[in-house]
Amino acid sequence: MTRTFRRHLRLAFFLGGVGLHRLSAYRVDFALGAGAFLVRVGLQTAVVGLVFRQVPAVGGWTYHEVLFLLGFSLLPRGLDHLFTDQLWELGRKLVQRGEFHRYLIRPVNPLFSLLSERFFHPDGLGELAVGAVLVGWSGDELGLRLTPLQWALAPLLVVCGALIHTSVKLLFASLSFWTVTSLPSMYAASQVSEFAAYPLDIYHPSLRVLLTWVLPFAFTSYVPCVYLLTGAAGLVVWLPLVTGGALALALGVWRRGIDTYEMTGS
Amino acid sequence: MNDLTVPGRAASARRAPAARWRAYLPFATGGLQSLLQYRSTFVTTGVTAAAGAAVTVFLWRAVYAGSPPGGGPGGFTREGITTYLLMAQVLHILHANRVDDEVAAEVYRGDVAVMLVRPVSYPVVRLFSCLPVVAANAALVGVPVLALFAVLVPLTPPQPVDALLFLVSTLFSLLLAFLVNLLTGMTGFVTTNTWGVRMVKQSVVAFFAGQLVPLALMPRPLARVASALPFQGMVDGPLTLLLGRYEGVAGAADVLARQIGWVAGLGVLSAVLWRAALNRLEVLGG
Repeated sequence: MTRTFRRHLRLAFFLGGVGLHRLSAYRVDFALGAGAFLVRVGLQTAVVGLVFRQVPAVGGWTYHEVLFLLGFSLLPRGLDHLFTDQLWELGRKLVQRGEFHRYLIRPVNPLFSLLSERFFHPDGLGELAVGAVLVGWSGDELGLRLTPLQWALAPLLVVCGALIHTSVKLLFASLSFWTVTSLPSMYAASQVSEFAAYPLDIYHPSLRVLLTWVLPFAFTSYVPCVYLLTGAAGLVVWLPLVTGGALALALGVWRRGIDTYEMTGS
Repeated sequence: MNDLTVPGRAASARRAPAARWRAYLPFATGGLQSLLQYRSTFVTTGVTAAAGAAVTVFLWRAVYAGSPPGGGPGGFTREGITTYLLMAQVLHILHANRVDDEVAAEVYRGDVAVMLVRPVSYPVVRLFSCLPVVAANAALVGVPVLALFAVLVPLTPPQPVDALLFLVSTLFSLLLAFLVNLLTGMTGFVTTNTWGVRMVKQSVVAFFAGQLVPLALMPRPLARVASALPFQGMVDGPLTLLLGRYEGVAGAADVLARQIGWVAGLGVLSAVLWRAALNRLEVLGG
């Protein structure tokens, strides 16, 4: 058990290093990808700025609190983006073009094998950097003082959020085993995740329920931010359970999908 | 490569105008056929659009929650701003003509070479094959999204004259969206990472068109920059007419004149760039 884990870890580091080599080979592509991302987040921040030119608070949240939320939402998203974006390829074309079998014949777990194709997507670094700057700056402006417990939990909150993003992505990508390509539904899910960048309090109640318990993006930023900003535990105690449930569901669908794929193959 | 296009172009120039336009009809019907193969796409496009609309609509409704009934910031009432943002999203659906994707992909793969042998102009072919996409998006995504929100939130019904002006203005905004996407797709001649270019285009257009924040709510210098750009005619222009936020006939004429000017300008620009790009096009293989 530990030996296979160590072997996978070594492989992941090696393949991640190979991925970094692309940076030097496709410098313009990297600059365009990271630059595009900066423009997007920059304009998103500008929209928040323009909203708060009109009123001092939105849904009970002040300007710096909303910026904190926006920045925090980028951290799990960036972390997920960094390691698992190869799933987009699965949803886009791997099943459609019949290329998926190559992951089944390798002597490692098929999911690991798929992700290892490109273990490191440097575009995600931009998201992490911008998110950290926004959180740091707005936290400072708010005079936020975290307790030692909050400091200890903060990285865990980000990791759990990233796992929720990964689970949703894996679930929708796996649908391609039945529908051939699931790119449109992956887009739709990623569009829904944009809700997480703003306070949940402003949305219609039905939307709040959807974002908390169906596509649980609220747990990637809103719930952790409420805990960090106010110290109120409220929903945050559900976070491990929601993360575990989302992962279990996504992995279950993925496994069923692989079985389906084997059956349809020649 | 260039030699191949010359006889075709000369032949098409000699034909009668009506016959020339008829040559493009098969591309419109072909576009429709390939569209109907993936019908489930409309459902997911609808979900995506509704989610996008909901984010901006709820954000700004929270801003206008405490505003007086006579009108809050920028002279918008709560219903007015909701109508603006919702119709902005509907226009955005109509602008999603996939021209940028398809041009970039065909240039990148070299498929554009096949097009050059035919006696038709490639940009015009693209215009015709995106027409069914726009019409289908309007009927199957735009109308349901509008209906859904009309049930959920109160909207401002427009005056008949304003609605008519809006329809005319929408046609020009569709042409602007086509030209902007054509120019974006043409960056495929220069870079392979058109994903990044398209993402920048999407964010910049959405912001400066006034899709997320009406130009009237931007600080003056920013609003001035936005109204000097062609994107303003894609969302803010038509919605100014729809909501009757213009001063008399001159105000309405100004909005339309700007749109026509930009359609002409971008049309010339893309024709020039297209010809220049073809002159240096190299297609590998075959």
